[in-house]
Amino acid sequence: MGKYIVKRVIMLIPVIIGVSLLIFIMLDLAPGTVLDQIANDYTPEQLAALEHELGYDRSVFYRYGMYMWDLLHGDLGTSYIYKAEVWDLYMQRLPATLLLAGASVLVSIVLSIPLGILAATKHGSLTDNASMVAALLGLSMPNFWLGLMLIIVFSLNLGWLPSSGFKDGFRSLILPAITIGTGLMATLTRTTRSSMLDVIRSDYLRTARAKGVPEKTVIRKHALKNAMIPIITVIGTQMGRTLGGSVVTENVFSWPGVGRLTIDAVKQRDTIMVTGCIIMSVIMISLIQLLVDITYAFVDPRLKSQYASGGGKRKLARAAGGGQT
Amino acid sequence: MQDKAASGTLAPEEPVLDIQHLTVHYVLEEETVEAVNDISIRLEKGRILGLVGETGAGKTSTALAALNLIPDPPGVIRSGSVKVCGRDMLRMSQQELEQIRGRDVSMIFQDPMTSLNPVFTVGEQIAESIRLHTDCTASEAMERAGDMLELVGIPRERAGEYPHQFSGGMKQRVVIAIALACSPKVLLADEPTTALDVTIQAQVLDMMIALKEKLDTAMIFITHDLGVVAEICDEVAVMYAGRVIERGTLDDVFNHTKHPYTEGLFNSLPDIQDRTAALRPIPGLMPDPTRLPKGCAFAPRCPYASPACIETVQTERAFSETHTVMCSAYEDPAFHIRREEV
Repeated sequence: MGKYIVKRVIMLIPVIIGVSLLIFIMLDLAPGTVLDQIANDYTPEQLAALEHELGYDRSVFYRYGMYMWDLLHGDLGTSYIYKAEVWDLYMQRLPATLLLAGASVLVSIVLSIPLGILAATKHGSLTDNASMVAALLGLSMPNFWLGLMLIIVFSLNLGWLPSSGFKDGFRSLILPAITIGTGLMATLTRTTRSSMLDVIRSDYLRTARAKGVPEKTVIRKHALKNAMIPIITVIGTQMGRTLGGSVVTENVFSWPGVGRLTIDAVKQRDTIMVTGCIIMSVIMISLIQLLVDITYAFVDPRLKSQYASGGGKRKLARAAGGGQT
Repeated sequence: MQDKAASGTLAPEEPVLDIQHLTVHYVLEEETVEAVNDISIRLEKGRILGLVGETGAGKTSTALAALNLIPDPPGVIRSGSVKVCGRDMLRMSQQELEQIRGRDVSMIFQDPMTSLNPVFTVGEQIAESIRLHTDCTASEAMERAGDMLELVGIPRERAGEYPHQFSGGMKQRVVIAIALACSPKVLLADEPTTALDVTIQAQVLDMMIALKEKLDTAMIFITHDLGVVAEICDEVAVMYAGRVIERGTLDDVFNHTKHPYTEGLFNSLPDIQDRTAALRPIPGLMPDPTRLPKGCAFAPRCPYASPACIETVQTERAFSETHTVMCSAYEDPAFHIRREEV
């Protein structure tokens, strides 16, 4: 397992190189540079000196080289706009994003797994159909629209909850968490249901029933543990996505998270800041994925023995995860 | 045996398993599969009944119905009763069913590859049944699960391993160990030896006979291997298209065969004296169970059939106290099949 983790961490390196190069080139192709954004604060002479210092008089690859050299020394660089360390800025914003992601994922797990199980055990019933319609609805509502609707109803009309910001603690968390959680719940309910449906007619559940295992235990213990792999995969993917910062939702609710930090940096052509944020997201998502892969081994003993034997198991783990990663 | 609850008391001559007029249909959207049609089986303590017949004859459905485990939907038990130790499995609460399954009646399933739960160790799967039905601690249950593994010829050290670490034959033995864990009074064995190679097959058969002698377990042994039937069964019931068409003691059915289908089964066995002889299979196929004829379902393939056979509703005809046959040809007192009294 230790060897496996080291291998996964090494695999991060090419991903980071590729992603950062792509961001540098894309931001270079877009019209305007960060210098246009900050031009008013400087005299033309200072600006020319800054242009040289930041490498904007040379090619994009020169600037990329400069950036990678710093990164190699563990330095994510300094934001052009905020004139502060990218690492510090990112870490200031991370708790808000973690809180939002944690809350929405937790709520959706607690609600959708039981709902998915219920839908599967009562396959074809009214409950099943109703929850599938609800899930479809949840999937089809775009986040920005849902967020705005929630603000209109609960903040503007009813005045129950704050419409934006972070100041009211738990109360300000509710609306953004619902906005992100709705789509996640829909996906998770559907995954749980279809995964349980696969398992529920299996021969080994019949064996369990023939032993006299109570029906509740058959579903909760024998069936659920077998249905867990796709469910964990979906939770991991969604968790990773939310941790990268849910750009849209954070903007709608003025949530001070990393998603907003990233999008602001893009608007201001703050290449260093954008790259830093994205690299951190890549690391976050990979960590979650690693956690997910390790969890697989605890859920399914067949995968555990594959990790232990070393070499080319990732593909198998993925295959078992239904290829949803 | 420290059973949690006393099981139903039984008069000495009463059968431990008494299936009466059981009818099981699978109702699909466009058609209804008539899997089991008005079957009655009685089984006394310590007896082994061989239930033979080709694939699709309704053998497994009969056994599942005896546990009230017919998957619903689409399965529907149309009529009948299944009494285990005097209590009707089909008219029991879910809770009573859970108590009786695995303790008084249990089943060995046909496909060992899919019958074990892949995410629990084999020890846990055997111990679960023991924990449910007896008053014992988790470690005592694991201890007894180890005993069960040894009984089926697997070292007890392997109790902590998962099903994927076992071969097919060993998985089958684990399935057997699960079924036997609580020493049931009735055991339904659905082709327990089909997945095993011949050497292990003999071991498993010996084990089941020993079990019968030690615990007086009554068994229904589902198979299409007539050799196995001859080896271990006391009684035989031959099924065709959801009906028992001939039943009797081993001697009745094997040496005084009456039904043309049973004769066909024996004829299709390879001839040991003449190894070059061509096999003589029964021509044709079993009728579609969604469209069974009103009369004899075997008539289209029967060498003795008259046009009347397809129309005449078949009834059971007793040849002796133990031997009954469902064939209308015997209305003619002169009728006999060629194999009779070999």
